[in-house]
Amino acid sequence: MKKRLSVFMLLMLALALVVSACGSKNNEGASPSSTQSNASESPKGQVEVTLAGWGSSPEEQDLLKQVLAEFEGKNPDVKVKYEIIADQYMDVIKTRLIGNEAPDLFYLDAFEAPALIEKGVLEPLDGYVTPEFDIGDFEAPTVNAFKSPDGKMYGLPKDTSTLALFYNKKMFADAGITAPPTTWDEMMSISEKLTKKKGSKVEVYGLGQAPELARQLFMLKAYGGQLVDDKGLATFASPEAEKGLSLVIDQHLKAKTAGQPSDVGAGWGGEMFGQQKAAMVLEGNWAIPYIQGNFKDVDFGTAEVPTVNGEKGTMAFTVAYVMNKDSKKKEAAWKLLSYLTGKEGMKTWTSKGFALPTRKSVAAELGYDKDELRGALVAGSSYATPWQAGPTLPTLMNNFNNQFVAAYTGQSPLPDALKKGQETANKEIKAAQ
Amino acid sequence: MAKPFGKHKLRDILSGYGFMSPAIIILGCFLLLPIGYSIFLSLHRVNLLGTVSYKFIGVGNFERMLDDARLWIALKNTFRYALIVVPSQTMLALVLASILNMKLRYRNFFRVAFYLPTVTSSAVLVLIFMWIYNRNGLLNFILESVGLPTYNWLGDPSVALLGIMIMNIWSTAPLFMVIYLAALQDIPENLYEAAEIDGANAWRKFWRITVPQLKPVTFYVIVMGIIGTFQLFDQSYIFSAGSGGPNNATLTMVLLIYQYAFKSLDMGYASAIAFFLAVVIMLITVVQRLLFKEEKLN
Repeated sequence: MKKRLSVFMLLMLALALVVSACGSKNNEGASPSSTQSNASESPKGQVEVTLAGWGSSPEEQDLLKQVLAEFEGKNPDVKVKYEIIADQYMDVIKTRLIGNEAPDLFYLDAFEAPALIEKGVLEPLDGYVTPEFDIGDFEAPTVNAFKSPDGKMYGLPKDTSTLALFYNKKMFADAGITAPPTTWDEMMSISEKLTKKKGSKVEVYGLGQAPELARQLFMLKAYGGQLVDDKGLATFASPEAEKGLSLVIDQHLKAKTAGQPSDVGAGWGGEMFGQQKAAMVLEGNWAIPYIQGNFKDVDFGTAEVPTVNGEKGTMAFTVAYVMNKDSKKKEAAWKLLSYLTGKEGMKTWTSKGFALPTRKSVAAELGYDKDELRGALVAGSSYATPWQAGPTLPTLMNNFNNQFVAAYTGQSPLPDALKKGQETANKEIKAAQ
Repeated sequence: MAKPFGKHKLRDILSGYGFMSPAIIILGCFLLLPIGYSIFLSLHRVNLLGTVSYKFIGVGNFERMLDDARLWIALKNTFRYALIVVPSQTMLALVLASILNMKLRYRNFFRVAFYLPTVTSSAVLVLIFMWIYNRNGLLNFILESVGLPTYNWLGDPSVALLGIMIMNIWSTAPLFMVIYLAALQDIPENLYEAAEIDGANAWRKFWRITVPQLKPVTFYVIVMGIIGTFQLFDQSYIFSAGSGGPNNATLTMVLLIYQYAFKSLDMGYASAIAFFLAVVIMLITVVQRLLFKEEKLN
């Protein structure tokens, strides 16, 4: 009996050895062979840098490829391999970072930046920046969004966009409205004139809304509400926050002059506006080429977001290029990064207006501040709330959105929903610490 | 007992394990090791991104579950889902199979037609159903054309899970239908003939002969159904774009595990929930075995 057991144990041991040998062989085998194949493919001395980003419109991708081709023309020793991660971008990037298979450079939204910086997987860029690179040329808030609490810089913002009020000129003319609203009260009354109902069913909403934290954070702050305290805990269930957010909810539930895209079967605000099911939406720069390309008959204008409580406010969304700390080709990666965010690269990248430049000199050169459609967006950047609030933001956002939608659809009163969201968020944050 | 093994015997043993070794290696690599590793993870606070660290916290992850409101919502959703989907799909499958077992004309055509939903990829099914449920989709179009009020099926938390239930019943019932169909053809004809001579009507024959004869198959169908419903992930994932919304209405256990594991990278806690889910499924299966135990006496 004992002997049989020992034979079995021996076999298991042998098995374990085989398995572990297999595993380690794979691990070791994979990386040298792949670098070898790279070396044999490309001419001598050329380094291949991988750059990963999320999928965007085909026009935008062509533009990026153009920038990359220009870079390769000027730097024959660096070859760029551009990868598109079409879906669940952050999940894929995080998993690949764990598996040491992450790209050398990748896009990073400001919203996700603090969590990644905290984990120490990004390369600090301070040591690479030269005086010629002219870091002072960047709009300060866009760079600060990628700094760690101790002031190290982990990413260079490739572009940014704020939200502005998009309005349908024809609908405005039909309703006899001459100018876009400048205050929230005006916007409410204008929405009423623009809303078209057929029986009880709303066919055209005055305002298209997005009931989510990323779009409503500035409303939360309009009366002095705060999203988060300095310990990373949620503080959004305050009367001040409620005051701003109730403007959003009441317009949907009480006045019935605003709705979300899914109310009319659209996927997002830009589509809702393009299909002429909303006369106004708050959208960013990305919506301009989208509407122009897909809905050519829509004549629209933009204006700054109407003031709430007499204060100007809007959201700002910034994306940076960051470098993988485990990258083996940091010098080449920096070459590419500094070209993409340098004056020349950024000028090409933002030349078609898909995104707004984060360098003041480029913005001035391209003249977007005087552009008819983009002027309002540029103007917003001076007072915008950046979409970033520390490493706990993903948890805060998840719980806020979940409860805010419940309030938005009238399932629970706003104060209860906010309280519940805050309690759940704080429980989760404390449990994860 | 004390008799030593002969050379012969040892060779037998070795050759036996030799033949089994492919299965042992594969099961060990892809089944036992992951299970062991996930139990190991569930007792630790794990950080995989950046500096890898494992900190032993004992049952800390399990204690944390008690206080996790979203976990209980997910469990409640999953239970509600199983409670409605499993009986409905089992009954639907039995009824469909019984109908197809009759001597109908074109019954081969119907067998193929009914089976089609099972063959379709579930991702495609969800997208088709999302189009049907859309505010301007097919369902609302039909409702509107007969003068009924329309509804925001996708946006309302109270009906979102129901939408997934209907879709799932429709797509998995045919699979079980085929299993029932095979079992039905195994029931000896003479039982029915004897019942007919005794004057039993069709309903009595179905209820007194068909259903009891199918009991072992029903057990299998229900167990597989429950395991399938507890593993619900792809449908609610696509439905809610990974969030489990609106208002946690489509949050399921597996979706929650996914969120903790890959969104928050909290592998330890995610493993603990996965372990908990496995225990729940095992318990339910044991309870079912007890309920169906009388079967063994026959």
